[in-house]
Amino acid sequence: MVARSTRSLLPYLLITPPIILVFGLIFFPAAQSFIRTLTGADGGFSFERYLEFMNDRSSVTSLIFTFQVTFFSLIGLFAICYPLALYLRFSNSRVAYWAQMVALLPLFVPGIMSAYALIRFFRGRGLLETIIYQLSPVLAETYYSPYVKPEGIIIGSIWESIPFTVLVLLAGLRQVESGLIESAQDVGASRWTIFFQIILPLTRRAALIAFCLNFIAIFGSYTIPYLLGPAAPQTLGVLMQRTYQEYAQPLQAETQAVITFAVCALVGLLYVRTVSSQRTGRN
Amino acid sequence: MTTFTPTLRDRLTRYAAREGFGLFALIFLVIFIVLPILTVLLWGFAIRWRFPAVIPTEWGFDFWQETLSRADLRRAFPNSIVLSISVTLLSMVICLPASYAFARMNFRGKQFFLLSFLFTNAFPRLGLYVAIAIIFFRLGLVGTFAGVVIVQLLNTLLLMIWIPTAAFQGVERSLEEAALDVGASRLRVFMQITLPLVFPAVFAAVLLTFVNTFYETYGALLIGAPNVLTIPVIMFPLINNQPIPQYGAILSLVLFAPSVLLLLFANRLLRGGYLTAGFGV
Repeated sequence: MVARSTRSLLPYLLITPPIILVFGLIFFPAAQSFIRTLTGADGGFSFERYLEFMNDRSSVTSLIFTFQVTFFSLIGLFAICYPLALYLRFSNSRVAYWAQMVALLPLFVPGIMSAYALIRFFRGRGLLETIIYQLSPVLAETYYSPYVKPEGIIIGSIWESIPFTVLVLLAGLRQVESGLIESAQDVGASRWTIFFQIILPLTRRAALIAFCLNFIAIFGSYTIPYLLGPAAPQTLGVLMQRTYQEYAQPLQAETQAVITFAVCALVGLLYVRTVSSQRTGRN
Repeated sequence: MTTFTPTLRDRLTRYAAREGFGLFALIFLVIFIVLPILTVLLWGFAIRWRFPAVIPTEWGFDFWQETLSRADLRRAFPNSIVLSISVTLLSMVICLPASYAFARMNFRGKQFFLLSFLFTNAFPRLGLYVAIAIIFFRLGLVGTFAGVVIVQLLNTLLLMIWIPTAAFQGVERSLEEAALDVGASRLRVFMQITLPLVFPAVFAAVLLTFVNTFYETYGALLIGAPNVLTIPVIMFPLINNQPIPQYGAILSLVLFAPSVLLLLFANRLLRGGYLTAGFGV
């Protein structure tokens, strides 16, 4: 496509306002916080704020806990969404249509409402236990409620991330041409061969995008861990909000924020690289 | 009946073999996703609902009046509406001309600038808002309406730039050129050809932006509280350790209302692939 070649300043004028927002509200605050966390009380270069973080047992516990929760949430998420997306890609039945509709439903539910819904459903004597009780009172006695436990955060994170993950994986799977699979079938490739040799490699990018964005969202989340998780240990998101607002220690909160940035920046870089290589590859 | 049973069972087994995974997935998703949402709906209209009962034993609207007349909600509701409208309009003014430039003009650094919007997703929200709050504090923007508008605007950039950019790129240039050839003015071509063609995508972006802003929690919580309260922010104490579950349920349903609008357009939104285009897939 031949775009109008402009040597004028017009395109720059048009893109300036949103670019100012991105640089002024993302790069600038992040960089400023990063530099400030490396500045000591005397104004010189110092690791003292990170040492303070590392020597605080609840901060370190919180960092490890956040990693664990994110890790298990992502495993559960892909275990549910990859098979589901695969099924939705290759089935045109009415069941597939409804399964897709239901899987996308959380997209339309506000975060705080989903937290409330899950509390009311999963807590002790909530709707789930009630239904189990009606089926078998003996079974209900063994009911283990994930509410205010680490499992609660994992379930909530999975619940919120299902629609986005399914959409991204499905978009990736749609880019795998049916003709390619049919010709592989014609030469006698088994289902497993087709899956491992064709589908899996071709959906790597979509899976990476889903992985990165979900990692960042879950690692830095607040609503779900605050409302569904245990009082201790807390995830970094909850700890950060508490430190900033309840304990009124903005500097400590800033150190925690920069540490989450550092972790997410690695994943975020992977995301930006994945998307940009895809776009240049396409052009 | 008996003569039909074998064929029916046959059909059912064949159906189950073909759709086994689908049915399993559908049942799982209904239990995992639909039932929790249904719980909110039931609590919203329940007056009495005790443990072994699967549905409320007493129904009514009594709690609606009580919830909707709460002073904090009366303050938060107009805040939420005005904020969402302001942010959406501002986002349109800022982003739509830029997305036109990204789609139609050639300039140095175009790819780089377009990709830089991805960074709005690359930082954890709450952490970023802590960093922004420290700057805003010095500027006197913490606890102000303008402060909340600015941080919420940040959330809208990616969707409001990438979706319309993809739409502008999708317009066939030959159509516009044909109209120019027969003597239509540039403005007329834009109004009568380009705009109607990009309208569905832009509309989708606007709708998503409005709803996302209406739900937005972290910015309002960290930058706005305690002066600028929105519905999601006042819901926290009503959900956590609140002995009366109806408050949370009713506020959830109030918050969910704009989503119904989004759901009506959901099919078109998803079929166009706009949503995933907004994330670079």
